[in-house]
Amino acid sequence: MLRDDRFARAGLLAIALVLVGLYLFPLYWMYVTALKTGTEISAWPPRFWPETPDVAVVEVWERLRMGTFLWNSLIIALGTTAVVVLLGTGCGYALARVRGLWMDVALFLILMMQVLPSSLMITPIFVAFSQFGLLEYPRLSVILAQVAKLLPFYVVLVRATFLQVPRELEEAALVDGNSRLGAFLKINVPLARNGILVAAVLIMLQALGEYVYSRSLIQERAFQPATVGLQSFMGPNTSDWQGVMTYAAIYVTPILLFFVLLQRQIVSGLTSGALK
Amino acid sequence: MTSSRSSFRDGRGFDRLLVGLTLGFLLVFSAFPLVYNLIMSFQEVDLFTLGSFDRPWVGLENYADVTGHRVFGLIATNTAIFVAVSVAAQLVIGFALALFFQQSFPGATWLRGLFLAGWIMPGLVVGAVWSFILSGDFGVLNWGLMTLGITDGRVFWLSSPDTALYAVIIANVWLGVPFNMILLSVGLSAIPEDVYEAAELDGAGRVRRFLTITLPLMRAQIGAVLSLGIIFTLQQFDLFAALTQGGPANGSNVLQYWSWELSFTDYRIGQGSAVSVLMILLVVLVAVVYVRSTRHEHVA
Repeated sequence: MLRDDRFARAGLLAIALVLVGLYLFPLYWMYVTALKTGTEISAWPPRFWPETPDVAVVEVWERLRMGTFLWNSLIIALGTTAVVVLLGTGCGYALARVRGLWMDVALFLILMMQVLPSSLMITPIFVAFSQFGLLEYPRLSVILAQVAKLLPFYVVLVRATFLQVPRELEEAALVDGNSRLGAFLKINVPLARNGILVAAVLIMLQALGEYVYSRSLIQERAFQPATVGLQSFMGPNTSDWQGVMTYAAIYVTPILLFFVLLQRQIVSGLTSGALK
Repeated sequence: MTSSRSSFRDGRGFDRLLVGLTLGFLLVFSAFPLVYNLIMSFQEVDLFTLGSFDRPWVGLENYADVTGHRVFGLIATNTAIFVAVSVAAQLVIGFALALFFQQSFPGATWLRGLFLAGWIMPGLVVGAVWSFILSGDFGVLNWGLMTLGITDGRVFWLSSPDTALYAVIIANVWLGVPFNMILLSVGLSAIPEDVYEAAELDGAGRVRRFLTITLPLMRAQIGAVLSLGIIFTLQQFDLFAALTQGGPANGSNVLQYWSWELSFTDYRIGQGSAVSVLMILLVVLVAVVYVRSTRHEHVA
């Protein structure tokens, strides 16, 4: 009986590994293709392992000036995350603490803002930003537009975290003579620190991959992020697949490392926020 | 001044200030663009009137131009197919995977979490990788299909008008499956084990238990996943940009991509706004239905 059970579990594990392998195959294919030269890339049948691995990291990095693109991506992502965390943390806290009709209305409005697609909001944002002169500061424009898109998601995630912080601790701090702000900063924020961190990481990862706003609001190449750079490099009829995949690999490897390190927290943060 | 200070001390002012900061930002950068979008959809907006605050009003002309356009029918149909097929496939595959990983074996939770690596990737990179996998001449998908005997010859996924939309759908399903699976897993683990045991004692088989216990108890969860799936699918833009640019001959164009094209490549911004207004109404409608249904669940 026990023996059977162990066999069944091993079988299930084997199937699970196959499923994960099949699903993650595109990621594997990205890395393998990045290591292939032109002849191996156009080989038929396709080769699943590069026979003469060729690392083009340095060449692609310099030829496509990836340093500039990635630097812009980083500035935009960090700027977006900073504004989102500064504005959104307090809002998530207040929405978790106070109950009432107005708070329900506020939460409803915030939820509605979350679903507005960037590709549809970009038309009015572009026209308004150009009329008010904001396009003079292209990266700032993208940051502001992205904050508007991601702030609601962050508020919802952080609110779920603050709901789990017991009220009694904060009340005790208030009785001890702390101000509301003091109690919020000294009691609530430290206790919710993990949830805040995960939510901030999720926001930053999204901001790192943003495309529509950057493509439409930034005209000058020197200010464009890595997504826009990749798109203009690919073009409609690219044949330099080694270059494209090397670019993609350089770009997403840090993101994937982040994900592997924080996998458990990201999964639980995501599930708690998305359903409440 | 004194009243606001006292309300700040007793606390209500503090909470209002915190919520007000966020709402204020969203008012300026989300709500105002929404209204401005609506206004522009009734105006003639092109490169000449872009900078002006006093543009000619054209009534419903933009809406008439857009819906009367010869490609409107094709693009609207594509949008419906894109949403329906993507959401259905994501749900079925996500549900099957969630059921599988619900069984107990070593590493089940961790392996399940690995699927989210796909969800975390930038859409544009996913598009780039898939455009090589889907490539007609030496794409690995064609090789797989031909080796398994599913297709006789090469399918030119991205350059044929009949398949281009489905090429984007394949990549979109890949992106959406992890999210569906994780949310459905949460619902599955909330179903108490003894319900199944009782049914098993009564002699109900696997299929019967799935149909009479799992599906009914997962109704709310499936509803949530469906509405979120529709919302996310209507937001999809990056994959179109990376894979097909809506082509060939609008064969894979959808309304959210067309709206951007009208504004940013044709500079018919008024018409882009009109398409945008129609689509935003649709998205908000789905979202309202979703939020209302979750509210009822909480009350019940």
